[in-house]
Amino acid sequence: MLWVDDYRPRTLNELHYHVRLSQRLKSLAGSGDFPHLLFYGPSGAGKKTRIAATLNELFGGGVEKLKIDQRVFITPSRKKLDVNVVQSNYHIELTPSEVGNYDRIVIQEILKEIAQTQQVDVSAKHRFKVVVINEADSLSRDAQAALRRTMEKYMTNLRIILCANSTSRLIAPIKSRCLLIRVAAPSHEEMLTVLNHVAKRAGAGLLPQDMADEIITDANGNMRKAILVFEAMKMQSPDLSSSPPIVKPDWETYCYKVGDMIIQEQTPQRVMEVRAKLYELLSHCIPPTIILKTVADRVVQKVDESLKADIMHWAAIYENRMRLGNKKIYHLEAWVVKVMSLYKQFFLGIELGDLDDFI
Amino acid sequence: MANAQVEAFRPTGLLQIEDSDIGLPLSNSFVSNGLLGDPSSERPASSGQDTLPHCTSVAPTSPLRPNGLLDTTGVELPSSAPITLPRPSLRSSTFDGKTIFLKRRTRTTGTLKGHSTAQKPIGSLLNVPIHRLIDELSATTAQGLMQQPDAEETLWVDRYRPKRFTDLLGDERVHREVLSWVKQWDFYGERFASSEDELDRPQEKILLLSGPPGLGKTTLAHVVAKQADTIDARSGQVVDERIRPALESGYAVGSSKPVLVVIDEIDGATGDNSHGFINKLVQLTYEKTNKSRGKKKGDKSNQVLRRPIICICNDLYVSSLTKLRSLARVIRFTRPADIHVVKRLQDICDTEGLRADSRALSTLVGISLGDLRGCLNTLQFIKGRSQGVTEQLVRSATVGMKEADANYLSVLTDLFCPMSKKRVKDRGMGEADESKYVERLSCAVEATGALDRVALGCFEHYANLHRHDATFARYKKANEWLVAYDILSGSMRAEREYGVLQYLSYNLVPFFPLFQERGGPRVERPKADWEWHVKTRTNEEIYKSLARAARTGNARLAGHFCDLVSEPVLSLEFAPLLNRIISPPIRPVNSQVIRPEEKAVLSRLVNIMVSLELRFVQERAEDGQLVYKLDPPVDVFVTYDGKRAADIAPPRYAVRHLVSTEINAQLAVRHVEAIERMKATKPSIGAREANDIENNSSQDMGEGMFVASTAADEPPRKRAKTTTADVDAMEKPAVDFFGRPIMTPIANNKPVSSRQQATPVYRVSFKFKEGNSAAVRKPVKMASFL
Repeated sequence: MLWVDDYRPRTLNELHYHVRLSQRLKSLAGSGDFPHLLFYGPSGAGKKTRIAATLNELFGGGVEKLKIDQRVFITPSRKKLDVNVVQSNYHIELTPSEVGNYDRIVIQEILKEIAQTQQVDVSAKHRFKVVVINEADSLSRDAQAALRRTMEKYMTNLRIILCANSTSRLIAPIKSRCLLIRVAAPSHEEMLTVLNHVAKRAGAGLLPQDMADEIITDANGNMRKAILVFEAMKMQSPDLSSSPPIVKPDWETYCYKVGDMIIQEQTPQRVMEVRAKLYELLSHCIPPTIILKTVADRVVQKVDESLKADIMHWAAIYENRMRLGNKKIYHLEAWVVKVMSLYKQFFLGIELGDLDDFI
Repeated sequence: MANAQVEAFRPTGLLQIEDSDIGLPLSNSFVSNGLLGDPSSERPASSGQDTLPHCTSVAPTSPLRPNGLLDTTGVELPSSAPITLPRPSLRSSTFDGKTIFLKRRTRTTGTLKGHSTAQKPIGSLLNVPIHRLIDELSATTAQGLMQQPDAEETLWVDRYRPKRFTDLLGDERVHREVLSWVKQWDFYGERFASSEDELDRPQEKILLLSGPPGLGKTTLAHVVAKQADTIDARSGQVVDERIRPALESGYAVGSSKPVLVVIDEIDGATGDNSHGFINKLVQLTYEKTNKSRGKKKGDKSNQVLRRPIICICNDLYVSSLTKLRSLARVIRFTRPADIHVVKRLQDICDTEGLRADSRALSTLVGISLGDLRGCLNTLQFIKGRSQGVTEQLVRSATVGMKEADANYLSVLTDLFCPMSKKRVKDRGMGEADESKYVERLSCAVEATGALDRVALGCFEHYANLHRHDATFARYKKANEWLVAYDILSGSMRAEREYGVLQYLSYNLVPFFPLFQERGGPRVERPKADWEWHVKTRTNEEIYKSLARAARTGNARLAGHFCDLVSEPVLSLEFAPLLNRIISPPIRPVNSQVIRPEEKAVLSRLVNIMVSLELRFVQERAEDGQLVYKLDPPVDVFVTYDGKRAADIAPPRYAVRHLVSTEINAQLAVRHVEAIERMKATKPSIGAREANDIENNSSQDMGEGMFVASTAADEPPRKRAKTTTADVDAMEKPAVDFFGRPIMTPIANNKPVSSRQQATPVYRVSFKFKEGNSAAVRKPVKMASFL
């Protein structure tokens, strides 16, 4: 078992940070008037942990008896969609964005099915079932529209818990039907507490302070990543006191390499080399927006102050264009060429300026 | 149809009977008006539409009329539909109730008018009212007009279509191949040695002619077939409704020649499903094998495909033809040599009285890319306007012709290279036209119909060019255009606004002014993108299998990992870090002498791998070395540019071997536990398996299953490392298929031992790896391996 899972808090009482949020969730669960919820916050802040804990509070330990199965939906055009569904007697959890544009069908089918069946278990604490929808911010417009009516119509039989990274891509009617719950990323101290807790539970010995700091800084508020990195480091070098270097995911190092390549040389050959690297990254299923962001971060670290704003500005513009377009590689490369051109111009400008001084 | 019916009546021979059976007055009365054709008389009968009006006029004067017995069926019809009526024979009854058929003579044209006037007896002249005569006259004129359409109105293509095999233009070998294939269907001709079919049919039952339009595929098929049944619809039902009956009857109606089905333009066949045209056709060819087998057993149904089918298509690689392609004999048409085409055109021009110089004609052929039909149509078009063909005329007449379907690769070349002088001349463009590129290129790009591929080609090619670009200004511009193209096409698809399609091509044209270069590197077919795409797919599959494994591996454990395997988390955090977690630096030592802290690491590792359903699978590398590979191969996620991440310890065989044995042991333990749990309910099922596993798990963990016992009296725990595979010892007495212990007959054993007393006999037994083989266990002597 991985530590991330093993030492995940199961109940609201066990949660380490956002204590007031836990209290509020607890009282909500106990009130008997449970609304639709929308959890949002950055990745790794603990949204799903809180959802699971809330469910536990609502229905008791029964929610942990899970059944995982693959449901098949058929679109009107006879295409088969496979969706992984996790369910207990009291709730069902799904990620409709797995099927891309067809998420509306999945949402409709599942919700209809849940809404039309009453809770059979007489000993259940509540009459409703809970539907947890992950990655709600990547739901298509159609799917969101399909949600909004069911949310009102079948209020007696079901509650919906949405889980999203940001609310900006959810339509307003959905937001207004839910109780918004923001799960902020934990602070440095909070993460330190959690890491120490994990270290203690795992019997990994005391975590050196400087290393913990380094891990936390690197994780940037992502608790999951921090624990995974911690475990990876523990496995790689069982003796942590020798302070080994922080483990970084490979794609990140690779992105840094790409950034360095852009700075080193600005030639057509280099454009081709960078393109191959970008393709390599894309083929590892790294989201293109993440690639752009990481490379841009690296480039910005290395260039002159006066260029930084420009590079980030263009990165933002190209990321926006990338979302509009289809072929991600065009946009990535367009940005690379743009940066190279900016960089070249910058240097040419300096040289010319020097020349002017000289004359 | 009309002819068929007429002919169908011919053999009835009733007209001969008529003479002998019918009484004299009757026959007299018929003869006297001289209109109902008597076959025995030499006098040519008048044509149908003037016979019928006469019938009506005759009737009142006929002595038979009052008693109403002679009832001519055809009487009322002609007045309503005078001309185009199919002419049935007349049926009449005699006095004694016999029905007789009066057959009409087939018309002999030309003599029509003369006879209708000359043959009439003088006395009956006034029997015909004047309006009828006028009707008749106009009807015959109309008929005459219909029969001889104006020569100018037929297309030249039809007029000069080759009628005989020797007239065909093009590669004669191709023609002969087709002919010989059709000839192979000749059941009574010479038998071909190659034919293995019991019905002496050729191996491929369908002939597929393919090639660009206008090269004479249809003509060839028709000439070869001479008697072809052309079918035009392309839905699946047609096969059942029309082709099958044609094939089954074997003969066309009214003809003694066997049928041959020509299916034209099959690449436009609809329906990809099982009811589609192609599938039905394929079924038809398959059917015969089944049925012919059935036939041997005495099945009388005559469903076998006995007649040839020729299919004609332009694009051989259309997706709907995939199935057919493998079944059919494929014949490709190529463009005939220009000289032959020009010569043929010259001949035609001569006969049509069109002055044509060969230069103009060769230009025409060049423009139309050898499309003979196009050439003829153009020539006819020119003929309509002037008496001679000049190059200028040809150019103006062929504007836009054939430029349309240019290959995307050539368009790409056009985008990156200026036009050659020859092509400029070929297209008759001046200096000014040449410099106007936007219109020309955007049309060309749009005409490819593969805009995305052109864009990709531009993307992959532009950085290969060597023109100096100090500030990257051109590259920047090119990329701007590409991005604009992508956004436009992306939103076009998303919003389904295909109206903007016409503007898409303009986004790619700027590559020409930016990058045009004479003698630059050749434009390659864009393939890198596809290769990466394939790689991405593979990796996605691995991600998926990892996610699935993690899910199922933890199905019992309250949905752990569920949030770890969701899309971005999986690739960004879980997969790379997991690889580090599962590759701790363990020394490859015997697990018995391992240090306690290392042992803890090892057991954790095994736990994690088991719960994630990760395994090490033994494989043989290309150089023959045994390696352990991860399954699913999640280590691709730390492998960039073909190298593993530097901070992960390189995989060592011994370590992985150790881990692998540990995992197997752990799995066995879990299995036993599961069985123990099940035993309460189903004691009988798990019993044997548990027995198996206990043998393994009862040993020390570290010992694993890698034990081979040598001679029976030696201690069983001794390790004997064999490199063949991870075989383990037969701990139990050998059992046969039914689970009974195998008793080797002692009589057999004795001579062996006595013979080989000098060398100690090692009985090494092997057991096939559990779960990997369904083989029956059997002790094998070492000697049989040596």
